[in-house]
Amino acid sequence: MEKTISMTNRKRITFNEFWDKYSTVSILILMALLFGALEPRAFLNGKNLIKIVEQSSITILLACGEFFAILLAGIDLSVGSTMAFTGVITAKLMVAGYSPWLAVFIGTLLLGALIGLINGLLINITHLPPFIITLGTQSIIRGLTMVVANARTVSGIEISFVKGIGGKIFGIIPTPILIALITAGILVFFTTQTQAGRNLYAIGGNTKSAWFSGINVNLHTAIAFMISGVCSGLAGMVNIARLAGAEPNAGTGYETYAIAAVIIGGTSFFGGVGFIPKVVVGGLIIGVINNGLNMVGVSSYYQQIAMGALIIVAVTLDRFFGSSNKSK
Amino acid sequence: MENIVEMKKVTKRFPGVTALHDISFDIRPGEVHVLLGENGAGKSTLMKILSGEYEPDEGSIVIRGKEFKKLTPKKSSDYGISIIHQELSVINELSIEENIFVGKIPRKRLAGISLIDKSSMHEQTKALLKNIDLNKDPSTMVGDLSISEKQMVEIAKAVAFNADVIVMDEPTSSLSEEEVNKLFAIIRHLKSAGKGIVYISHKLKEIKEIGDRVTVLKDGSYMGTQNVEDVTIDELITLMGGRELKNKYLTSHEGLISDEVLFSVRNLTSKDEIIKDINFELHTGEILGFSGLIGAGRSETMCAIFGASPKKTGEMMLNGNRLIINSPYDALQNGIGFVTENRRETGFFQNFNIKQNISIAKQLVQTRLGGLWGMVDFKDEQLVAETEQTAMNIKCASLNQQITALSGGNQQKVILGKWLAAGVKMIIFDEPTKGIDVGTKAEIYKMMRALANKGIGVIVVSSELPELLSICDRIIVMSEGRITGSFTAAEATEEKLVKAATVAMEAAAIGAG
Repeated sequence: MEKTISMTNRKRITFNEFWDKYSTVSILILMALLFGALEPRAFLNGKNLIKIVEQSSITILLACGEFFAILLAGIDLSVGSTMAFTGVITAKLMVAGYSPWLAVFIGTLLLGALIGLINGLLINITHLPPFIITLGTQSIIRGLTMVVANARTVSGIEISFVKGIGGKIFGIIPTPILIALITAGILVFFTTQTQAGRNLYAIGGNTKSAWFSGINVNLHTAIAFMISGVCSGLAGMVNIARLAGAEPNAGTGYETYAIAAVIIGGTSFFGGVGFIPKVVVGGLIIGVINNGLNMVGVSSYYQQIAMGALIIVAVTLDRFFGSSNKSK
Repeated sequence: MENIVEMKKVTKRFPGVTALHDISFDIRPGEVHVLLGENGAGKSTLMKILSGEYEPDEGSIVIRGKEFKKLTPKKSSDYGISIIHQELSVINELSIEENIFVGKIPRKRLAGISLIDKSSMHEQTKALLKNIDLNKDPSTMVGDLSISEKQMVEIAKAVAFNADVIVMDEPTSSLSEEEVNKLFAIIRHLKSAGKGIVYISHKLKEIKEIGDRVTVLKDGSYMGTQNVEDVTIDELITLMGGRELKNKYLTSHEGLISDEVLFSVRNLTSKDEIIKDINFELHTGEILGFSGLIGAGRSETMCAIFGASPKKTGEMMLNGNRLIINSPYDALQNGIGFVTENRRETGFFQNFNIKQNISIAKQLVQTRLGGLWGMVDFKDEQLVAETEQTAMNIKCASLNQQITALSGGNQQKVILGKWLAAGVKMIIFDEPTKGIDVGTKAEIYKMMRALANKGIGVIVVSSELPELLSICDRIIVMSEGRITGSFTAAEATEEKLVKAATVAMEAAAIGAG
């Protein structure tokens, strides 16, 4: 009986299967074609496309981290604040005379991991939903950032850092996107090839089964949020390099972009289902929409409306045709 | 006698399968009509057509002389059909009275404003509960009730809205013997009130006890309807297409049990003290059963042994080594596996395919730092899954299939395969055949025996006394968190087990009196 079902499936690709596999890429292509048709000259030229990719790099980095929180059927609302905080600290360290390497190591990577660890520990200890915990830490971190930066932009960042991280390689490939893609690449390896990655999918699919199968749920939860913190840190690093300064209110509302990219990338909000490359495409889609609407001359207020609508449409389609529907 | 409901030549097709083929089924007032068949035989599909969840492709349903091509859930309930599903649909966050009147709350008018008539709701519920002999205050939260009491609430709900036909889908699957007797008393009461009862079950013994007529389905086809008193259990098994089962697992194997102690527990008390001072030994080659009423602390004992819940005191030895187990991971590392009671909640991963579900425990053992450091060995995963599939005869189209596509029995085999692949030395089964068809049950019993013969420890927790009596070499009985009896296969009888299971309660009653 089961055999006959799989046979008929092989003959005809249903819309469900198509959607499951190619939804994210299809949306990206559709969006690009749409804007290309509306504004062929301004949108569809090499320079602009590179610009889109560069602008998307921060969303992609944040989304890669957010992916892990959502994979565990949770959420991380603190990514935008963490990005600002790590950016400010990294900048301050450089201004204080530390080498960019050391500043990045402490202010970006260690601090990002520490914030993620605190999120994870709070979730493990209180057993409160990640939504509540990260809603709290989001505000705390933003406040800390304002205090540390004295609510002013930290400027005077080492120029070699600005050129190195915020510039272009061979004068054409933006370094930020390289950083984003390398990060994504490492995380693809981590999620698909390592046992820890497999365990995270297991916890996301069924936390209790994971516990009864011998997986240390608390440890893995902490790690997932630490990855999110480090990714936010990297986004903060890229951001201050691109702007040559660290604004304490950077990344406000970016958690929405990150969550949108993860979800448009087909990650199930119910946990346990998702694939990082699709999340990267999700980040690009958001870049295309923002840039495309700009090119067409739509005000940024309408851009927010479009973004919100896209999230709802993408999740609705996923709910009815995607893998989260199947796993019910 | 006139039929209340008559389903005529009903056919239902799903893509690729005919779930029901030309089935006729009727329900008379004042009878218990048993619907019997293995899992996948079409019992639930037939009842879903009656409840209006599915539309039949052919055939019709006649209720009190009125013919329908199809029903809707609302129509079905308006015409007096009520279904009590295996997975109960009560709302834990509401009180008993609110559950019973949900959606149909009695109202009164005060100064023209429509208000909930609380006192009327309270009084009506009180009468209903008295009717079904459930001694609870109507304002008790349903979340605080036991499973059997929740079931009673559902029955009360059906009675409250004058259901003529009450369908019970495997109502005894989570009940203890005593609760089953209570349920049967209520069913008899409903019968005498002229209600038609459809009773879906796998348990052949119950059918003889409570059924009036029985209809057997097999692979979506109608195998016949007979009076229960005219038919023997063996004939029913033959009709279901099942194998002859009775007591075949208890072949003589007593010579195989050695004096060697494989696993022992000393002074085990859980941190919450729900279980106290548990002592027992498991011998090599032996299947050890745990009997008792629901809430006696059997699952809690197993969770404490397995490290899934914290211990206050307790010493455990496996193969002569002292075990320190504070988490399921420690248990797994020490070679203990646990097939839990609820597959969907604590057993498998619905987002994983069969292969991934089997390999997870083995990979956790192979990698370091609690599975944090190490790579997924895809080759080994395939190999291990294939081995377990063959060893356990898991029926699936491909190992890459989602586990949710499998039947309950095959899912259970996958979970067992997970532990065996990890090379465990002892395995605990909690209600291993709950919701599993007769054929697969037999296979699982055989596997347990084979494991014991190989020297792997087997502990079985079960609420079904015949199950324990036919597969275990020794049965320990628990009551209110303590061990109250231990019987060898030769001495154990249902009466002795039930007596030991209720002993602590009687003592408590005397103490209170």
